[in-house]
Amino acid sequence: MIDIFQNIQRMLETSPHLQRLGRLFSETVLIEVDGQEFYLTFDKGRIESVVTGPSRKTPWRFALRTDGDALTKFWQSRPEPGFHDIFGLVKIGRGRIDGDILTLVKNLRFFKEVLALARTQEEQPA
Amino acid sequence: MTIEAITGRYLTVTIGGTPRRIYFEEAGQGRPVLCLHTAGADTRQWRHLMNDAGVTANHRLIAFDMPWHGKSLPPEGFETQEYLLTTEAYIETVLAVIDGLGLDRPILAGCSMGGRIALQLAALQAHKFSGFIAIEASDFQPAWYDIDWFHRPDAHGGEMGAALVSANISPYAPKAERWNTLWMFMQSGPGVFRGDLSFYTRDDSLIGRLSRIDTGKTPVHLLVGAYDLTCTPEDAARTAQAIPGATLAVMEELGHFPMSEHPEGFRPYFVAALEKMDPAQAAAA
Repeated sequence: MIDIFQNIQRMLETSPHLQRLGRLFSETVLIEVDGQEFYLTFDKGRIESVVTGPSRKTPWRFALRTDGDALTKFWQSRPEPGFHDIFGLVKIGRGRIDGDILTLVKNLRFFKEVLALARTQEEQPA
Repeated sequence: MTIEAITGRYLTVTIGGTPRRIYFEEAGQGRPVLCLHTAGADTRQWRHLMNDAGVTANHRLIAFDMPWHGKSLPPEGFETQEYLLTTEAYIETVLAVIDGLGLDRPILAGCSMGGRIALQLAALQAHKFSGFIAIEASDFQPAWYDIDWFHRPDAHGGEMGAALVSANISPYAPKAERWNTLWMFMQSGPGVFRGDLSFYTRDDSLIGRLSRIDTGKTPVHLLVGAYDLTCTPEDAARTAQAIPGATLAVMEELGHFPMSEHPEGFRPYFVAALEKMDPAQAAAA
């Protein structure tokens, strides 16, 4: 799983339009997959680091908690209904979003498109 | 070069005791079909069907921008008002446009909040219409988000609204139309999407009215996209079941804005819906 997040980190480096969208976003986001923690620290629209947990000392702004199977489906080029969006995961009971949701919403396009960078490239992001 | 068949004009009607300048577009001739846009958007959502010669050969499609939306101005004094759409104001607006344009019992086709008000009108003012196509429409769903997110001084409500509603667009939607659909939300005036959502997520008055709808006189057909997280196929099915004689089609590869996000995918469902608007056929179905 960490490979995928590191791949997203690399792909973001070559996505100037996303860096521009996220230029005011410098936060740490916790992504929890099957109980395993991944801390993605963003700095002005780039991912500075991807660090695995567990950690009780790493402050995060918001968290997406889901499972590996759901993320695998999310990363299909044409996901099944519900798996096509992070809020879809929440709606179908396969994901939970915690923390400062308003910060997520203010940066929602950026965050969703960054997460969708790992989506099989057939069509389009988020 | 292409010049489209759609024409746009303005109509001034009185709503809530004050004059409102309303922008409307139309194309085609024949049986009138009045088309209602979703929350936070405008008439452009219907442009593909209005440019569809196969549809407009025998239907006159008319769409209008609700006050505060698109090219319809807010009322005078809006600068000190909080925009909160209500069922009553919405009904008054639709009926004022019908009267203003002199439409004789049009079919009413509405999407999302437009579908909700179509069902309200089917329950309360059915004699003014000849059928209802309720798209992504349901009795009621409370918000799973905070509508106040979309109107605040420290963030762009339109951009946040677009990012939120992108959750309701199918991955089968062509990329260009996905973004054209989202652009309308990005352009929405401050507080307008919030005011629409107030109606959509807080007024549950339709629930008790569904059983009043007489589909023997005015057919009701519901359409719902499988990728719609806001009005899910389950929401639409529950609603259709509460309306004796209503029919429902689930559109497997579409989302919450089918006419706008995926015009080609939506077309056959809309054409089939128009065919169901003949009361004789609806009764036979």
